[in-house]
Amino acid sequence: MRSLQDRIDEAGGPLALLRLPRSGIFPFPIRSEFTNWRDEQESWYRSAVLFDQSEHMTDLTIEGADTHRLLSELAVNSFNGFGPAKAKQIVLCNHDGYVIGDAIAFCLGEHHVRIVGRPSAHNWIQFHAQTGGYDVTWRRDDRTVQNRSGARELFRFQVQGPNAQAILERVNGGPLPAIPFFTIGRLQVGRHELTALNHRMSGFPGLEMWGPYEHREEVREALLEAGAEYGLLQAGARAYASVATESGWIAGITPAIYSGERMRAYRQWVPAASFEANLILGGSFVSDRIEDYYLTPFDLGYGFMVKFDHDFVGREALERLATEPHRDKAWLYWQRDDVARVFASLYEQGDRRFKYIDMPAAWYSSMQFDRIERAGALIGLSTTAVYSSNARSFLSLCIIDSQERVNGAEVALVWGEPDGGSANLAVERHVQTRIRATIGDKPFADRTEGSSLRR
Amino acid sequence: MGAAAAGAATTRAATLQEKMDAAGGPLALLRQPGPGPLPFPVKAEFTNWRDEQESWRRTAVLFDQSHHMADSTLEGADTLRLLSRVAVNSFAGFGPMKAKQLVVCNPDGQVIGDGVAFCLAENRVRVVGRAPIHSWLQYHAESGDYDISYRRDERTVRNRSGRELFRFQVNGPSAREILERVNGGPLPDIPFFTMGRFNVGPYEVTALNHRMSGFPGLEFWGPYEQCDGVREQLLEAGADLGLTQAGAKSYSTAAVESGWIAQITPAVYSGEALRPFREWLGADSFEANVNLAGSFVSDRVEEYYATPWDLGYGFIVKHDHDFIGAEALRRIAEEPHRQKAWLYWHRDDVVRIFASMCEQGGRRFKYLDMPAGWYGSMQYDAVEGSGGSLIGVSRSLAYSSNVRGWISLCMIDESSLEYGQEVQLVWGEPNGGSANPAVERHVQTRIRATLGRKPFSDATEGSSIRR
Repeated sequence: MRSLQDRIDEAGGPLALLRLPRSGIFPFPIRSEFTNWRDEQESWYRSAVLFDQSEHMTDLTIEGADTHRLLSELAVNSFNGFGPAKAKQIVLCNHDGYVIGDAIAFCLGEHHVRIVGRPSAHNWIQFHAQTGGYDVTWRRDDRTVQNRSGARELFRFQVQGPNAQAILERVNGGPLPAIPFFTIGRLQVGRHELTALNHRMSGFPGLEMWGPYEHREEVREALLEAGAEYGLLQAGARAYASVATESGWIAGITPAIYSGERMRAYRQWVPAASFEANLILGGSFVSDRIEDYYLTPFDLGYGFMVKFDHDFVGREALERLATEPHRDKAWLYWQRDDVARVFASLYEQGDRRFKYIDMPAAWYSSMQFDRIERAGALIGLSTTAVYSSNARSFLSLCIIDSQERVNGAEVALVWGEPDGGSANLAVERHVQTRIRATIGDKPFADRTEGSSLRR
Repeated sequence: MGAAAAGAATTRAATLQEKMDAAGGPLALLRQPGPGPLPFPVKAEFTNWRDEQESWRRTAVLFDQSHHMADSTLEGADTLRLLSRVAVNSFAGFGPMKAKQLVVCNPDGQVIGDGVAFCLAENRVRVVGRAPIHSWLQYHAESGDYDISYRRDERTVRNRSGRELFRFQVNGPSAREILERVNGGPLPDIPFFTMGRFNVGPYEVTALNHRMSGFPGLEFWGPYEQCDGVREQLLEAGADLGLTQAGAKSYSTAAVESGWIAQITPAVYSGEALRPFREWLGADSFEANVNLAGSFVSDRVEEYYATPWDLGYGFIVKHDHDFIGAEALRRIAEEPHRQKAWLYWHRDDVVRIFASMCEQGGRRFKYLDMPAGWYGSMQYDAVEGSGGSLIGVSRSLAYSSNVRGWISLCMIDESSLEYGQEVQLVWGEPNGGSANPAVERHVQTRIRATLGRKPFSDATEGSSIRR
């Protein structure tokens, strides 16, 4: 079977592969809008939202005596106190301390963990489960677009927002059990008992809950019926794509697997049809070194998760990186007049227009990195950019050199790609422009707690 | 009465008439917060909608029309008798390998729907288009005294058995060269709205000279199982000539440039003469599930109806036969009409809409989606002349990468139509917005626009403006 390494070799290197002329947007397999994305965005801030996460993430189930040993040898996280009814956001690095991926690990029983997220974390874990001599079994439940079995094992919903508690109490038929942050409990939805985790994409209060896939529509109906008078709205693909930028989860990580001899055996194991072999790099930041697109846990705001109480892949490098200057996660609030200038440029002929800004999610590559400059010098990278009806602004999540991360500072984001645009099929010919933006904190930080910012 | 009670009443309704009665009249039905439009069952974008739009003007586009339209097949000795009874068109000279754009009206001369009628053989016609014309044809085929059989091939989202045909269009300056390549030689001469046959590699297809974009090319079809095979042949032959597949986003804008007014309000909701039809038509029909939107608001559903002239079809009305609506149309022919025209929206006012997204609460203007900007199945925005008087309505609106601006198709009072004139379009709905779930709370604003002719008129010939 052809591997990721074969694809890299055929393309002429990792950057050539990640810049092939193709479209890097994966279709999100739910309706694009149920009502309209503006109201759907506002629902998680003002009333309540129902996120349907049943389709777009891959699940990997690990069982057996060595389950915790496998995970703790790969993850930067501490596994002290981890066990049944606990969950954590695991972060996996390569030997040089760069992040391969992150995912949520749900401990569902003794020696029984389910990993949910983008497949780059799963592939790395599965590789070690298969080749590392661990006493574990693994079972994969691929995301719908790559799922050959025809059906997912579980449905997965999140309900969150100021009215989430009232809605969930109503379907539960009484007060909810206490389910602390990143802890697992149970609740009743109509005639179905579900398992729930205190974890929300938006950061606003609520729960994530799941059960057998065949109960999905009954559970949805029960939630929608109970939530109707509380303003519960379903989020479509457009609104869903924008939520993590508000709450601060950086989704479009470049898996740090494309270079280095120590990762070659892994690249030969990863199939050519994998997630990793089909990603697209884009944006105004362009480097000829793939490593410049890698990020450390510190860059992503996960420094607090790195615990040297155990041995894990990348530990040595991270011990060194921990003492070096690093970058910080921050939010950029784009200035209105410059955004308006981009829309005005749609009236220009030929290539004089600026890169089209799609709404609400504005990125056009699976891994988008745009230059952030101050006085013309590169000070950081902007990733997922969105319009937020809650912030009433375009904003983007970014990674900024620590000494430059000053709230209120004005910076320039370079919007669009150099030389008229890359070969990415989603990119029409255009010219670059600079959008002024202000560095700031997470929106509504006083009202939210997100998985990416809390222990 | 709460929303739940109204919902319960409408779910019990079996017919359009019952659903209207339960809602409290046609306008109440068409303004109910419904589920919104059915998804267009083609990928949103294959490359990106900007380049896809430009392909039909600069290189070539592949439109996949295999899914979103319904087909009616009429067969039997009375096929032409039925069609000529319901359609305003002349059938002189109509026969095998000919096609025409059918327009059907109610007895008052208001348009119910339009569609393309393909005469595939003697006494065998396939009609392709949006739902209302199919309902009307089926109703007459089944309830009238005709020697005819009727078969419906539903659009994909409502079709459980699979489509019978694939349907593609290749349009654009490179279309001919691509089609000659797949045909392995020169194409037969196929005049406008005439049919012919050619080959796409190993597949023989039937073609009509008819294009959504108005740029040169053909529409062609064959058995659905050949859909992917034909597509592959076309994409391979067209790769170095810039053939681009159009996704749902760009497809929805082609007709705004070329001038086909798709979102006709079927003139079936009022009048005692159509009551039997409304009692025949199901509550789950297209007609019972569309919605009205926009800044033009009337309390008479008839204000949303159009005559053939309003839609640019006056030249199609032929009194060489007797048809439903003939008498009314004789009278209407003498009255003032509305005329189809294009509005070119002013850049600074469009930018004001986008800038308003930074306003708090309901002070923003109605969001303008791209490339297609409408938010209801039948969008009517008021167009005002000097002094603020209503001179017509704007219908479908889109950003066009070919024009490099927002345009809309509109129907303007003849007496007020002056090309080059600056008018105002009222953007957004009154009172913060209707109950339409696609509408967020907003305030209205006025967009300056210039009245003009069809974009690229010199380069195009579209089905809706040519005989």
